[in-house]
Amino acid sequence: MAVTIDPIEQFELKPLVSLGHIGHQQLAFTQSALYMFAAVGVIALITIVATASRSVVPGRMQSLAEIFYEFMADTLHQATGDGGKRFMPLVFSLFMFVLVLNLFGMIPYAFAVTSHLIVTFGLAALVISVVVIYGVMKHGSHFFGLFVPSGVPKPLLAILVPIEIISFISRPISLSVRLFANMLAGHIAMKIFAFFVVQLLLAGAWSVLSPLPLFLTIALTALEFLVAALQAYVFATLTAIYLNDALHPGH
Amino acid sequence: MNGDDARDGKGAEGTPTDSELSARLRRLETQIERKRPQAAPDPSSRPRGTGPSSLGQAMTISTEFVAGVIAGGILGWIVDHVFGTKPWGLIVLLMLGFVAGIYNVMRVSGFAGARPGRRDRQEP
Repeated sequence: MAVTIDPIEQFELKPLVSLGHIGHQQLAFTQSALYMFAAVGVIALITIVATASRSVVPGRMQSLAEIFYEFMADTLHQATGDGGKRFMPLVFSLFMFVLVLNLFGMIPYAFAVTSHLIVTFGLAALVISVVVIYGVMKHGSHFFGLFVPSGVPKPLLAILVPIEIISFISRPISLSVRLFANMLAGHIAMKIFAFFVVQLLLAGAWSVLSPLPLFLTIALTALEFLVAALQAYVFATLTAIYLNDALHPGH
Repeated sequence: MNGDDARDGKGAEGTPTDSELSARLRRLETQIERKRPQAAPDPSSRPRGTGPSSLGQAMTISTEFVAGVIAGGILGWIVDHVFGTKPWGLIVLLMLGFVAGIYNVMRVSGFAGARPGRRDRQEP
């Protein structure tokens, strides 16, 4: 009767090829890295290979690529206007990368790369460094006018400027924690509810109740697919909105 | 919110009556009106979206608040480390972090801060 599972076990990193050590820390090519390479491969398949023919009437794969591209181009244009076109490669790559990794995580027994905080924080740090570096390059010190809200009496600025700075620093944190927490919580919840089915089946007369968590697991799976797509979209949208601050900081 | 409902006129196969035609015309007009702001986007006066993006917005809000507090805490800890002002930097900046978190939430939900591009999270 004592069947137990560890719902966090699925997030364990498993080194596939060891590359040596730095101190006590092993450097290894993990399954996480393998999934990232696989994601890049799938994205390349969708975007490069499928559009190689460049037919006017798109085939199935080409129209898939076009749907993704136009969707992100629209989102970016709405958030940043015409000046944001140069960031299309960045935003599109981020969106596709996060989307494909999220959806990979939904394959049974697969590993969800985006449920590791360091991965999502790496992506968020990339976004924020692009915002800061591009903003300073383009506008110089004028970029820091972002932290000074306009139309506020001088004494209040002493409080508002630190708040704006903290609010800016909180952006990469909220960007990464949101994606990470959604994926982590979703996968843990699915695992636990699925395990309820097994536990109830082993619990004698109580096993008549076992369809209940089964239905819940099915519903959760559908919800997780929605969350996987939605979080990729939210990540890309927020990236576009933050890039807008780098393009038009003066407010 | 797509163009499908303009073509669904049920009696369209036979000879459509005048009222049917004018109803279809009105439906088309409202659709064009809905499409128009998308064709010429104006960053300040866009309607708030519904559907997947508002769900995304709901998920945004909680992390915005937590992130503000965490950012304040980290910043306070760093300030204490650098300037040796042991408890005070953390206390003050954690409180400011709370304020920043609430400010974040207000801005995301559209109560404050008319910074263009901050609150126009809508479906393309």
